[in-house]
This record gives sequence, C-alpha cells and structure tokens, in this order.
Amino acid sequence: MPDLLLKLSLSAYAFGIVAGLAAARRDELARLAGAGAGLAAGTCGVAAALSELIGAPGKRVAFNLWPSLLPHLRLGVRLDPLGAYFLLIVSALAIALSLYSFGYVRGFCGRKSVGALAAFFNGLLLTTTLVFLASNAFFFLIAWELMALTAYCLVSFEHETKESRNAGVLLFIMSHLGTGCLIAGFLLLFQASGSYEFESFRRLGVHLSAGRRDAAFLLFLVGFGVKAGIIPLHIWLPAAHPVAPSHASALLSGVLIKAGIYGLTRVLFEFLGTPPNWWGVTLLSIGTVSALLGVLYALMEHDLKRLLAYHSIENIGIILMGLGAALMFLHTHHPILATFALIASLYHTLNHAIFKALLFLGAGAVVHATHTRNMEEMGGLIKRMPKTALCFLVGAVAIAALPPLNGFVSEWLTYQSLLLGFGTTSSLIRLMFPLCGAMLALTGALAAACFVKAFGITFLAQPRGEPAAQAREASPTMLAGMGLLAAACIFLGLFPSALVRLLAPLTLELTGQRLALTSGSILTNTRPLGGTVSTLGIALMGICLLPIPLGLWLVFARHSRVRIGPTWDCGLRGLTPAMEYTATGFSKPIRMIFKALFRPKREVQREYDYSPYFAKTLRFDSHIEEPFVRRLYRPLNRAVLRLSRRMRTLQAGSIHAYLIYIFVTFLVLLIFAL
Amino acid sequence: MNSSPSDFPSQLITLLAAGMLVIQLLMAVQRMLLTSIRLFALQSLLFAAIATVIAYCHNAPEVYWVVGLTLAGKVCFLPWLLNRQVRRIGIVQEIAPLLNPSASMLLCGAFTVVGYLVARPFTSLERLGNNTLAVAIALLLTGFFLMLNRRKAISQVLALLTVENGAMLAAVALTTYGMPLVVEVSMFFDILVAVMVLGILVYRIRESFASMDLSELKLLKG
Amino acid sequence: MMTFVATVAQALLLLALAPLLTGCIRNWKAKLQNRRGPRVWQPYLDLLKFLRKDMVISEHASWIFSAMPYVLFTSTLLAGLMVPLVTVAAPLSLFGGALAFVGLLALGRFFLALGGLDTASAFGGMGSSREMTLAAIAEPALMLAVFTVAIQAGSTNLSRVLQAAQGPGWTLLNPAYALAFAALFIVLLAETGRIPIDNPATHLELTMIHEAMLLEYSGRYLALIEWSASIKQLVLMALLANIFFPAGIATEMTPGRVGFSLIVFLGKLLVLAGAVVLVETTNAKLRLFRVPDLLGVAFILAALALLSTFLFQ
Repeated sequence: MPDLLLKLSLSAYAFGIVAGLAAARRDELARLAGAGAGLAAGTCGVAAALSELIGAPGKRVAFNLWPSLLPHLRLGVRLDPLGAYFLLIVSALAIALSLYSFGYVRGFCGRKSVGALAAFFNGLLLTTTLVFLASNAFFFLIAWELMALTAYCLVSFEHETKESRNAGVLLFIMSHLGTGCLIAGFLLLFQASGSYEFESFRRLGVHLSAGRRDAAFLLFLVGFGVKAGIIPLHIWLPAAHPVAPSHASALLSGVLIKAGIYGLTRVLFEFLGTPPNWWGVTLLSIGTVSALLGVLYALMEHDLKRLLAYHSIENIGIILMGLGAALMFLHTHHPILATFALIASLYHTLNHAIFKALLFLGAGAVVHATHTRNMEEMGGLIKRMPKTALCFLVGAVAIAALPPLNGFVSEWLTYQSLLLGFGTTSSLIRLMFPLCGAMLALTGALAAACFVKAFGITFLAQPRGEPAAQAREASPTMLAGMGLLAAACIFLGLFPSALVRLLAPLTLELTGQRLALTSGSILTNTRPLGGTVSTLGIALMGICLLPIPLGLWLVFARHSRVRIGPTWDCGLRGLTPAMEYTATGFSKPIRMIFKALFRPKREVQREYDYSPYFAKTLRFDSHIEEPFVRRLYRPLNRAVLRLSRRMRTLQAGSIHAYLIYIFVTFLVLLIFAL
Repeated sequence: MNSSPSDFPSQLITLLAAGMLVIQLLMAVQRMLLTSIRLFALQSLLFAAIATVIAYCHNAPEVYWVVGLTLAGKVCFLPWLLNRQVRRIGIVQEIAPLLNPSASMLLCGAFTVVGYLVARPFTSLERLGNNTLAVAIALLLTGFFLMLNRRKAISQVLALLTVENGAMLAAVALTTYGMPLVVEVSMFFDILVAVMVLGILVYRIRESFASMDLSELKLLKG
Repeated sequence: MMTFVATVAQALLLLALAPLLTGCIRNWKAKLQNRRGPRVWQPYLDLLKFLRKDMVISEHASWIFSAMPYVLFTSTLLAGLMVPLVTVAAPLSLFGGALAFVGLLALGRFFLALGGLDTASAFGGMGSSREMTLAAIAEPALMLAVFTVAIQAGSTNLSRVLQAAQGPGWTLLNPAYALAFAALFIVLLAETGRIPIDNPATHLELTMIHEAMLLEYSGRYLALIEWSASIKQLVLMALLANIFFPAGIATEMTPGRVGFSLIVFLGKLLVLAGAVVLVETTNAKLRLFRVPDLLGVAFILAALALLSTFLFQ
C-alpha cells in the first residue's frame, strides 16, 4: 500500500512539473495544475509516511525509479522510518503550501510566468522528497544537486531585482561548497564499504580508522551544515529565503534546511557508529552559538521575511543542540538518553517546519497586501486582515516556545535532555549541559521579544503607511493553508504523545530504543518523577480558570460602561502614526546591551545654519554587518579573486597555448602511469 | 576531630568560602569606592569567621591570632584608613575600568573554573574535606585580574588586599596545623605596611598630578 | 476529588493573599521612609474600585487589548497552581514543573507586551520593549538557578524539588542553594519590577517599565492586570521561600499540619517581603543600561551555584 501511495505521490509532483510547463501560457490553468498536483502528492505522501511509521514492520518499500545503465548508479527509492518521518514533514507542508499557493500565485498572474513557478515549486517538492527517499549515495547526491538547482530557480524567480539575483548566486556557490564536502565524505565511506548503497554504510564507523572517521564527520558537518544554515556557514540563508515567493520561502525555511538535519541524523546515527566525545561537544556548541546569534540578528531586522529567515538559523541551532546532546550520550553509552535527545530534536524539526511555514505564509499574505517587506511601514493590519493576524499570532506563540503550543513541547524536551545530561559524566564537560540550557533560555526569551516586535509592529497599533492602511484580507485558499498549519501547531502542542508514538520505529532503528514518555496526556522524561508536563492539562485548566475573571466582571462590573476614545498617551494630544514605537526602536535596548557583538555602525549627518543645536535637516543611518561577513567571507572573497587574477594569465586566448596545455597534461599523465 | 564534607562545621566553612567568592565578584562589578571598601571589610569578616570555625573545631588556638589580627587590621583599621583616604581625595567612583562589568564577571567566572581545575589534584591534602583551596585560588586569580582591570590606585590597593585574603585562605585551608603562624602573621604585616605606604603614595600622586589614574604614571618616564 | 479541593483552595489562597502582600510591602516601605503610607489592605479597595469603574478603550486598540488581561490573569494563576504553597504537593504539579512555570509567566508577559503596543501610544511601546529586553536577560540567570536546584533534586517537578530540599540539615548551608538563592533573589526583583530595576511607584513615564505598558488600561482590565502582578509576586516569593527555607511545610494533608504550615508560610513570606522592602529603600533605581550588569551578577551567581556542585562535593 505505501508502495502505491509513494509512486502516486512522486508521479503527481512530476505531473505538476509537466503541466506547469505545458500550461506556461495559460496562467489560470497552470495555477490550478500546480496547486492541485502539489495537494494530491502531499496527501499521498502523508499517507505513505504514516503507513510506514504506524503500520506493522513489514517489508520495506523499495523500488527503482528508472532502470539504470551505469554501474553504481541506481535510481533507488527506499522508505525507512527516518526517511518516512521527513517525508511526512515535506508532504504535510506540501498540502498547506499548495493550498496557499492557489490564492497567492494570483499576484503573479500576467506579470510573471505562473507555469514556471508551479513547475519549480513542484520540482523542489519532488527533489526534496527524493533526497529523503534515496537509497544510495549516488542518487542522493543527484537529488541533492537538483534540489539546490530548483531552489536557485525559485530564489531568483523575481530576477528583475538585483537582490534576488545576488541571493541566488550566493545560494548556488555556498550550496556547491557543501556538495563538494558531501562528495568527499561519501567517497570516504565508499572506500571502506565498496558500495554506494546506504544499506552497506550501516554501522560502518567501526571499520574506519579514527582519523578517517573524524575527517568524514567534519566533511559531513560542513556539507550538511551549509544546507542547514549553521553559523558561520549561514550567510546565504538570510539573503536567499526572503526573496523567493512566500510559499517557496516557507518551503525553503521549513523543509529545505531540514535536509541538512536529515543528512546529519542519517550519517551520524546510522553510519558512523559510536562517536568520540568531541563530535557531540562540537555539535552542541555550534547549535548553541547558532541559536543565540540567529535570534540576536533576527531582532535587529525590520524586514519581516529576513527576520523569519534568521529565526530559521536559531531553530536549526536548537535542533542541533538536541542532536549534539544525543551524540554525547551515545559516547557515554546512555542509549535511552540519546533516544530522548534525538526525539527532542526531531520533534523540534517537525515543529519548526510547521510554525516557520505558517509564519512565512502569514508574512507572504502581509507582503502581498502591503507590497513591502519593511515592518516600519506596516501596522494596524489586525483590523484589516484579522484572520491572517490570528494565524500569525499562533505561529508567533509557537515559535516563542510558549505553552501550550508545539514549540514549547519540543523545547521542553530539549531542556530535559540537557538537564539529564548533567548526570551522564563526572568530568567538567557536564557543565556544558546546563550552561547551554541557560543559553537556550536566553534564546527563547529573545525569540519572544522578537515576536512581540514582529507581531506588534506589523499587526497592532495604527498603520504607518498608505499601503498598510489600504490592505485587504488574504484570499480564502491562502487562509485555508495558514489555518491548516495553525491547527497543526495546536495539535502538536496539545497531543505530543501522538508524535512520540510516531517516532518509536525511527528511534528503534537508529538507537535501538523505543521510549513511551507519555502516560495519558502527560509527557515525562526518562526518569520516574524526573519531570512532567501536560500541555493539554495546561490548556484545559486555563479554560477552567477563565470563569474567575469573567465572574468578577459579572459580579462587580455589570453596571460599568465601556467607552471607545482616543488613546490617552499621558495626555499628549494629536497622536500620529509617526509617534508609534518603531521596530528599530523596539530592539534598541537589545542592540545597546549586545553592542560588543553587533558593533552597529551609525552615521549622523546634520545640516545647520549657525548653530549645531538647531539643525535644519538630520539624517541618521545605522546598520549592522555580521562579523562573519567582514572577518571571514570578505577576506576569503578577496583571496579567491586574487587567485583567479593570477590564474588568468593561463587563459592566454591563443589556441596554441591550450593545445600545449592539453599535450603537457597528457604527457604528465603518461609518465605518471609508468 | 575528623571532618567529613557533610558535617556542620564543614558546611559552614564552604558556605562562608562561597560568600567570600561572591563578594569578590561583587567587587569586580562595583564602581563606588566606598562600597568596595565595605565589601572588602565584609569579605575579611567572612575570612575571620572561617578561621574561627577552624580554630574552634580543630583545636588550633594559634589560629585565633589570625582571627584577631584580621578583625583588628582588615575589618576595622584598613577599611577605616582607606575610607579616610577616599574622603580626603574626594574621588568616589572608579570611572572607567578597562573591561565592562559583564565581561569582567564572565572572566571571573572562568577564573573560578580555573581555580577549581588547578586545585583538584590537591584536594587530598586538605583537612577541611572540601574545596576551600579552589576558592582561595579563585580569589587570588580574580584579585590579580581586579588589579589589572582598575585604573585608580585605591581600587588597586583593594584588589591587592583581596589577593591577600585569598592567600590567607589558602594557608588556612591547606594546613590547618601546618603553616607556621609566624609566616601568616608576617604576611599580614607585610601587606599592612604596603597598604599604608601605598596610601601615602596615592595621596602624593593625587597632589602632584591631580589624578589617581595610574595609566598617567607612564608620563613619568623621560 | 482531593486534587480538586486542593486546586480550588490554592487558587483562592493566591487570589486572597496576593493583594495583602503588595499592601504590606507598600506599607512597610512607607514606614521605612518615615511616611505613614497606605493601609495594608488598601490594594483590596483599589481592586474593588477598579472593578467597578467604567472603562475607556483606545480607538486604535484591537481584540488583543481586551484579551490580554484575561490571558495574563489565567496564565499567572495557572503558574501559581504549579508552585507548592502550604503542602509539598502542588495541585497541578503533574501538569508542569519549573519549565512550564517559567513558560506560563512568559506567556503572560508576551501578551502584556502586545497589549502595550496595541494602543499606538509611544509610551506603551517603550514599556513593552524594555520589559521584553529585561525579561530576556533575566531569563538565563533564572533558568540556570532553576537548573541548579533541579539537578540537586533530580527533577524539574517543583514538588520533588521541595522534597529534596527538605532533607536533613539546613538547605541554605549548601553553597549551591545559597548561591542559587542569591541569583533568584535578584531575578525576583527584576521579574516583579522592584526598585533597583524598575520603580513600581513611579510617576515619570520615561522611567517606567511595567507601568508604561498599562498606561492605557482602566477599569476592570486594570484590576485584572494589577491583580495578576500581585499574584506573580506572591508566587515567585513563595517559590523562593519554600525551596530555600522548606522548614514547616506540610507533607500530609491533615488540617492541623496544613494550618501550621500556613502560618509558617505567611511568616516566611513576610520575612522575604521585609528583605525586598529593605533592598528597595536602601537602593536607588539603576539606569536602564546598568540593569544588565546586575542581571549579569545574577547569572554568574547561578553559574557559580552550578559550579559549586563541583567545588564542594
């Protein structure tokens, strides 16, 4: 059954691509075909993934896409629990995003090729799905590269703007850097196993020498890290994600970067065997740094979509913290704890996919309505787009890890695994766990601040600009897509046991353990009475407590009247939108406190006639550049350019010179062969 | 009397030692000179309390000498002297430490970890059954850092005094009976004299340069 | 059934006691400053008055403005039900421990800050911005201190933490607890908006933090918000008092034990309130950008508390 569903899903995506391209001239048709294909494929994919994860462990689904003619190249597809879990993520998003895209893409009608957009979108879904399903390294790499390519097409879809083009190129370069590392890493594994099949890589770590194992770890860390957007390999992410069409941004931030997490999980937990301690320490530290810096840079953004993109870095950091802790537990031979930490990080992977997609869709609806990504020009949208605002609020509460939504549950699991980690070793390294936990707390609180800003400045108060005042509510299909994701946020928050049960076959395969973790609606950690939480209980209790304030109202305030009046504002008259707190102002205290980190550059120009105290015009300019760009990438860029200039002398342009090169190479090879 | 880490005097000593460490950290962020002096007096008082507990529980009456000297000298006399000095020169604040408070706090935290790591091999030597030595080393390190971090001569003197507190704590912790009393006492007087000389010097510097900023002493060379 | 009774009783206790604590603190503070001060039960009268008053709602406000007092009130009360007050077993102990407690307070704060932004007033936005910033930098210290205590107890469940603290001897003699207490005390001052960080009695808009967010609120909404602030203060103080001075708390549910425990609990609260009053009267409000230094001290104290589990095994 999953066999058929999977084939259906893949062919539906393929149909979406073909139909999109075929109907390139007819926007309406292309829109319908693209969305319909994605919807159908997503539904089939979810069904296939669920039947693999819930169903009895029977025969694994495995088939070849295409009979291959080359040795080693087998276009094999295989559905195992880990792949199925990520298939679930991508397919679930495909449903919501396709629904949304039906309404959203209308904005491109007549302006851009809707057919091409539908084709690229379905193409990205297809290739991402194949990445999660590939059964050998060769096919995996092909799918991986195709995924990067379609992502590039989507990022530079609006190629009229320089920003999009630059972002696309940056994405392409960084992605290739990563793929290079991946190829090298897989070759290392191939050397040891003699085959490219993932099945032959299983538990390969024991056959590798320590040096090779470490080299493979580093190569995979960089390779998958680029895709995941870990700091300092993240620079492409905040550039590329915001410029794509919003449903594609949601896909990029929700699923594409998870391909990096998928790869790391697959390689670290399945292939490389019991890890040395420094792997886990490295991953945990990278995770902590990424989480903290990601949210700090997000706070400094007032471009709504860039802000969300930085939050992806933060959440990848949180996911990596769980993975790092799991590796450290594997090292100290605590498989149960490792499983717990793995569940925490995989839970967060799904949660992040859902709420980040939701937020991107919300941002997309806002941008669609106001034609700007700059938060400083928005405001007051909750009156004009109430449903979008509600969905965005659900996403904001979820990503800020507030109970009782899903972000809270997975961060709770992460905290618990870090806390339990303290007892696994007696060396000083165990101090890392609570300290990283404290940094996670800082991250969470900063994320809350950031989303107060994002929601408050965008949706509340008075509109700050004309487009915001004229905004109209998003179309029904867009709202349906967002509503679906918001419902998923609530469901995953209130019923964590459902997902924990879903993860059981996965952990059984990777760490040999299956954890129950739930009794009724109460989520527990691995220790009896070690810590419990019940989001459902919290939510129900909250509803039970609501009659108290309402009762007070009825008893005491029955006769009081409510008057709608102007904002008091401490008696100031003539409140204008220009007097509202801005996004930049909101995050100013944080910019001041973390000044050493941000090193904001500020420029004040004032023009005056006779005294500097009476300025005629005043121009204030402040911007923040990431130190990585300045310290790491700029010098690197310069070095590469310098090197290429040197190399240019080789490109003489004369045909004879080239012939000589070829001849000399040939000669050297011949001599070498002797 | 044989001490296990869990009995009451040991617990008391650990708590008091932790208190000394906390005061040290507070001094690292405190800018007001008068408050710093008060904190130092409090730290010395805690040290005196530790010494009293040790003297009482380990039957070491000679340690009472240390207690007496500390109380007289570092809890009463030196703070009074420094207080007077501060009032006379009329500078109440350490304006610009080299590192900002948060960074220096973090560094001090790191020094504490270093102290712990360094002291770990010697835990068996201690009679107190807990890591008072680690605290002592942490006090030494943070004291030195404090001296580095401060510009004003008075606060440097204070930092020196906390270093001395750390040294005394180490002495008491390592050798409840071991280190001859005469060493401790001479160390005490050494510092006492040093501080008085420094105090006079500070006043003179202030007179001649109208500043206590030690970085300006660089101007003295030809 | 027992849990139900306990839940209702604790909720009533929280609701009834919270304004009294606020009143005591205000009264004592005035006494220490040589003023007569408001009577101890003045906050009750204030709440009653607010409840009866008419309301003015800004024309720019959305439903967030009206929903906020309810969310804040319920989430704070819910957090309060997770903390053991007079018996070791907190009514909602199984529904969440320290982490859910912190999370619920954060949920209330999230909506409080949104409410501040909602009326398009410049002061509200300023208050929200400062509140979220200070809460963010207080969070690591809070969590680290909570972790230290939780690690000592082997559980994040507040009832379990309390049981662990109830062992033989005095908990505060353990430096880990003493340092964590110091850290949490600073965090308490920050979270309840007390003087070195925020001035609860200020009338100057530019220095307000918590009050600035409430400027546009009136009538029963204001009553709910003020009440939740009191409850939050009570709950945080109760947490500190019970974890670090666990003596006297009832381990079983007999009326005699619970009554005794209630008296002891009140005593502990009043002592802690006295400490807060002392700090408030002897200190001046810090400049906003000096507050991170103080919270940095709290963080380092908490880190030392953690380290001291090594230092003083």
